[in-house]
Amino acid sequence: MLSYVAQRLMLAVCLLLAVSALTFSGMNLLGDPLVNILGPIAADTENPKSIALIEAAEAEYHLDKSLPERYVRWLGDLVRGDLGVQFSSTGEPPVSNIIKERAPRTAVLLVMAQSLAVLISIPWALLAASRARRPADRISTVTSFLLIALPNFALAVILKYLLAIKLGWFPITYTANDPFLSRIYQTFLPALTIALPAAAVYQRLLRTDLITTLQEDFILMARAKGVSKWKVLLRHALRPSFFSFITVFGINTGALIGGSLVVETIFRIPGLGTTIVEAIIRDDFPVVLAVVMIATSVFVLVNVLVDILYSFLDPRVKR
Amino acid sequence: MTAARRGLGFGFWLSISWLIVISLAAIFAPWLPLKDPGENYIVAGARPPYGPSSTHWLGTDQDARDVFARTIFGARTSLVIGFGAISFGIILGGTLGVLSGYFRGWTDRIASIVMLILLSFPGLILAILITALLDRGLATIAITLGILGVAPVGRLARASTLVFAERDFVTAARAIGSSNRRIIVRELLPNVVIPMAALSLLGMAIAIVAEGGLAFLGLSVDEGVTWGKLILLGAGTRDLERAPWISFGPISMLFLTVLALNYAGDRLRDYFDVKDITL
Repeated sequence: MLSYVAQRLMLAVCLLLAVSALTFSGMNLLGDPLVNILGPIAADTENPKSIALIEAAEAEYHLDKSLPERYVRWLGDLVRGDLGVQFSSTGEPPVSNIIKERAPRTAVLLVMAQSLAVLISIPWALLAASRARRPADRISTVTSFLLIALPNFALAVILKYLLAIKLGWFPITYTANDPFLSRIYQTFLPALTIALPAAAVYQRLLRTDLITTLQEDFILMARAKGVSKWKVLLRHALRPSFFSFITVFGINTGALIGGSLVVETIFRIPGLGTTIVEAIIRDDFPVVLAVVMIATSVFVLVNVLVDILYSFLDPRVKR
Repeated sequence: MTAARRGLGFGFWLSISWLIVISLAAIFAPWLPLKDPGENYIVAGARPPYGPSSTHWLGTDQDARDVFARTIFGARTSLVIGFGAISFGIILGGTLGVLSGYFRGWTDRIASIVMLILLSFPGLILAILITALLDRGLATIAITLGILGVAPVGRLARASTLVFAERDFVTAARAIGSSNRRIIVRELLPNVVIPMAALSLLGMAIAIVAEGGLAFLGLSVDEGVTWGKLILLGAGTRDLERAPWISFGPISMLFLTVLALNYAGDRLRDYFDVKDITL
């Protein structure tokens, strides 16, 4: 067991190294951060005065060093928890501070979205599976199919129109200075936007697995012993039906991170999504790298956790 | 009963018909009796946006441009991006997958590592990295979204190749002295193509949606209209309040197209009994 966990973690670290090396070299070969640091002077390579400024800036931000040297330096800082300075005219505030301020907002959004998705999908799947192939189940299948075909930005626009503008149940914008509870309330609509299609995906998988489980002998046995239908569903059928659900929960985290970028922009939440978009346009490498590393680490680690959890639920997976 | 299960069903053909209609409309848009998508149809004495009417079926936007005509013209770019992306994904991912499934060994190991790295980026993050660093032309966007498809397509192609490479007809082809090239092209490809067709419909839907996501981040194609950019145009709170049709017109067109692609893809997958699809 322990060697299996160690093996998975080793692979995860290798993947993260590969991702960071690719992103780092890609950005440094293709982008030009000097424009953002110095402004239009950076393009003026004729003037000796601006050449001096460019060279000073290159030395200050270590841009005159070779690519491998810069990567190793960046990686060393990262391991010590220092994400470097911004590539902007002042370099302030440090990237770590930006991340500390903004990451919690995205984290709250994602955790809320996944919790909502799970909370919606489990009762939904139980209901559909208990009425398998009857009208209620048919309606639920069609509904989930329609929800999955609805892109998150379109769903965001629709929910914003219906629930925030027409019905006025939820606030339209996010205010970073509001107290914690009202920010949670403001995050609900964006979280719901991410959660609904995810819930539809989970529901479809869980329903299929539940229907398979319900045909097993031990279910028949329980029913024969007089256990009620709902108790059988909750107590006996649910746990062994969670396999595909858990796998997709992990894989889906990547899609949800992407989705949260878009949803954050629509509902104006100043989280990591808005941060990376702004930073990319400005060629602000350290900020982009920080967000990419956080997003991929979360994604890769969730999948490692899923693998480990999976091997707990079904010991055969280890081999 | 068995006869009904054999067929692809009414819904499948309905989806295909919608896809054909929207593709034809997109291709022939300049010659159709549509309003000019760039023209401002200002009505004297009234401020745009105007609501849906007999002259403007889906209303007009803030600049009094016809939403219906713009949605049809937007289909041109959106469908080209979707089609281009999945073609790129199928060609690169398919080649990678078939080669690694057929030759195994080191080819397989290297291809698997490439796919594993591609899969550990959250999709949209990879897309915004590439589009931000390169230009935002039509080809770049399509290829970028195509790269997202390489790993899933490659995995499927590898899995199906592994299955078929064990079959008797491949052994027979090898026994009569066929070259590797001939076995791959003549024996394996025709079998691998079927599951990939189902995947390509789903992949096209994903690429069209991803373009919309990029548009909302301000990173979609810099010229021309796409569905994503059209929806974004009406997504501001004030516009949504007074003129919801600006967004809802293109949303419905996008929704129907994605729905049709998903449904047709799902049906094909069931029909050919493709089990191992990881998308």
